[in-house]
Amino acid sequence: MTIPLLETRNLVKDYVLGGETVHAVNDVSLTISRGEFVAIMGASGSGKSTFMNMIGCLDVPSAGTLLLDGVDTKSLSSDELAEVRNRKIGFVFQQFNLLGRTTALDNVAVPLIYAGLGGAERRARARAKLEEMGLGNRTDHTPAKLSGGQQQRVAIARALVTDPLMLLADEPTGALDSQTSQDIMTIFQKLNDDGITVIVVTHEPDIAEYAQRRIIFRDGRIVEDAAVISRRLA
Amino acid sequence: MKVSAISGWLVNVSIALTALRTNLMRSVLTTLGVMIGVLAVILAVAVGAGAQQSVMQSINALGSNMAIVIPQPDNDSGRRTVDRGRLTMRDAIAIQRLVPGVVAISPQLRSTIQMVISGRNATTGAVGITPEYSQVTNIVVDSGRFISDGDVRTSARVVVLGQTVATKLFGTFEPIGQTIRVNKTPFTVIGLLESKGNSLGQDNDDLALIPISTARQRFASTTVEGPDDLHVLFVGLEEGVEIGPTKKEMIRVMRDRYRVPKGEISPFTIRTTEEFMEQSSVVTGVFQMVLVAIASISLLVGGIGIMNIMLVSVTERTREIGLRMALGAKRSDIRNQFLVEAAILCMIGGAFGLMLAIAAAQAFQSFADFPAPIGIGVSVMAIVFSAVIGLLFGGYPAIRASKLSPIEALRSE
Repeated sequence: MTIPLLETRNLVKDYVLGGETVHAVNDVSLTISRGEFVAIMGASGSGKSTFMNMIGCLDVPSAGTLLLDGVDTKSLSSDELAEVRNRKIGFVFQQFNLLGRTTALDNVAVPLIYAGLGGAERRARARAKLEEMGLGNRTDHTPAKLSGGQQQRVAIARALVTDPLMLLADEPTGALDSQTSQDIMTIFQKLNDDGITVIVVTHEPDIAEYAQRRIIFRDGRIVEDAAVISRRLA
Repeated sequence: MKVSAISGWLVNVSIALTALRTNLMRSVLTTLGVMIGVLAVILAVAVGAGAQQSVMQSINALGSNMAIVIPQPDNDSGRRTVDRGRLTMRDAIAIQRLVPGVVAISPQLRSTIQMVISGRNATTGAVGITPEYSQVTNIVVDSGRFISDGDVRTSARVVVLGQTVATKLFGTFEPIGQTIRVNKTPFTVIGLLESKGNSLGQDNDDLALIPISTARQRFASTTVEGPDDLHVLFVGLEEGVEIGPTKKEMIRVMRDRYRVPKGEISPFTIRTTEEFMEQSSVVTGVFQMVLVAIASISLLVGGIGIMNIMLVSVTERTREIGLRMALGAKRSDIRNQFLVEAAILCMIGGAFGLMLAIAAAQAFQSFADFPAPIGIGVSVMAIVFSAVIGLLFGGYPAIRASKLSPIEALRSE
């Protein structure tokens, strides 16, 4: 039996707000296998983002177990978690989160700094990823000189540059118009076809239709987990 | 493939430079604080060293290896005072004869004289001497001749002038051979002393030398009791002789001559140049420490400025910190990034502070005629010190940045 890429058992995340404990994520058990394309949906406050942050090792669960590539994350130190984020996970954010005043090439190369690569190799790999994203002629542009779609493609190149196991995208189309959103989702589908696991958090139903599987959160729990019936294909 | 740590630090340097350029004005102002601090500390060290150098110079101007006998009780111990002694020529001869290691004695009578020539006048200290004065104090004539045995024997009305006095009286004219009136008596200028420069604001060239016999006859009759009395005795010591035992021997000879009982304070004080040097190096050492301590306060203020601006920088870039953590930065990576930024700010400040200090020391030297040497050691120390300030005051903000939770940091606006 192959080890699932991601497995959660009774995962809980509590917040204390004004003396009252809020279960942002409440007893969530879930398995995601390699090569899946999953959309996580839900209204704001449903716990989908909190869940996403935990599986991205950005946040620590209050209780329950999170197995990432077979490893229990509870046993990892903060340095080891940083390494997991660096090697196994690629993040794509709603607001792109590119460094201003820094070229597309250098932005894409940031994760490679923390992977400990030398300057020449960092630049070579970053350039290759940008070319894959169709931005080979934009390497020296700063984010301010790129369109929203281009910025998000730079961010995707950055997420992919360490060849991670999975791509975690938090509302990746939230700041884009519908045509550009389609382009980005097409890229995700293509990357998924090439073998990478893609997990997208979104509140837009039509964006979720690009995925194979849709998980819906409400009040910190999963209320629906099913295959997407009429999948949109680019 | 892991690359050397150097590459990692280079990345930090480049990130830091980008960040500092982004807030150029702020970076410059922060650097200014450190710059002023480093400037103050280096100048304090340099001025202290200059004072030391100056004091040593003035002591050396006395003559490098000698003792001074003064007819005054040695009150160092703070005990009850004893009457002044009467130092005589016979004491001088006894010291020369009985104390081993004494090569020459220079008995002296001192007074203040007024010299006049064609409307110009100068008041200065006159030292009545014998020819041995030259040997004991290393003072020689620049032109003309020194006081001779013949001058002393005949109580000749001759005078050897220091450079300052000569300039006051003669300007650019040749003084040698000229006749000047000293306290209304005509004297012939026979020689001009070599310049000994300034030390600690004291002009070593403001004096006139006359034969001791002449001084006794004309100027010192009111300040001594007997025809044989001296104001001061300089004792020249053999090169390489041990000063301590020689001084003890001189004290013993003087106590014997005046039958000072054991335990009583001698009415004579004997000081050696070595003691002057030790004393003054203690004094200038304290002086330097006080200066550096005061200057360090401004460096401290500069350091606090660094800490303040680094805290602002960390707060402003919380989101960037979160992003970097999401992309795989370890806590140590974040900490080092901010440490390097603080250290660079400080080192730039240190470098400019050093340059300004060198310029200020030059100005000091040429305008105030006061030496303020800045050595390689001080320069290296300044740069290292400012980097340490950076690490010290940048440390807290950097550690605070590294302790941020990735998700909290990423969510911040």
